[in-house]
Amino acid sequence: MSKTIQWETDFSKALKRAKTEKKPVLLDFFNPG
Amino acid sequence: MDAVTYPDANVVECITENVIPLRIPFDSEPYATDFNIKWTPTLVFMDEKGKEHYRNVGFLPSDELVPCVLFGVAMTYYELDLFPEALDNLEKIISGFAKSGSAPEAVFFKGVCGYKHTHDPKPLKQAYEKLNADYKESEWAKRAMPYRLLP
Repeated sequence: MSKTIQWETDFSKALKRAKTEKKPVLLDFFNPG
Repeated sequence: MDAVTYPDANVVECITENVIPLRIPFDSEPYATDFNIKWTPTLVFMDEKGKEHYRNVGFLPSDELVPCVLFGVAMTYYELDLFPEALDNLEKIISGFAKSGSAPEAVFFKGVCGYKHTHDPKPLKQAYEKLNADYKESEWAKRAMPYRLLP
């Protein structure tokens, strides 16, 4: 288990992973400051 | 969220196991417009086609984010008519995070999913009874009031 969240940063890649891994996507719209 | 919530081990485990985590700056187009983002943080739960099923706006501590993630996952499955998967996640909230802000809504939708999965009204009545017993002051107890009349 990773000790940090391994965030995707590419929208299309995340959707492809969602299809392959059969999981929803959690999209965090954040303020990088 | 970066300083307090996301580093929490329980949050890392929950997100890693249950969702594909994706981060995009709030002003990144076309996503900011497509998702009508007005405040941060905004968490959007979506399916593999990019369709939104649930969102949360505002900071959450770790003990609220974990049940929020489980609820977002449950709502995604619910809206895709995958009721057993939705029920599994709702039950995790009810049994493991009973004092969280997500719990009353999870009880309500456990009743709804149970009914839609079985076409038996008993889960709706059970949802009303649990909300009335454990979360009487919540808005979800009020929304479930009609179910008290079910047999």
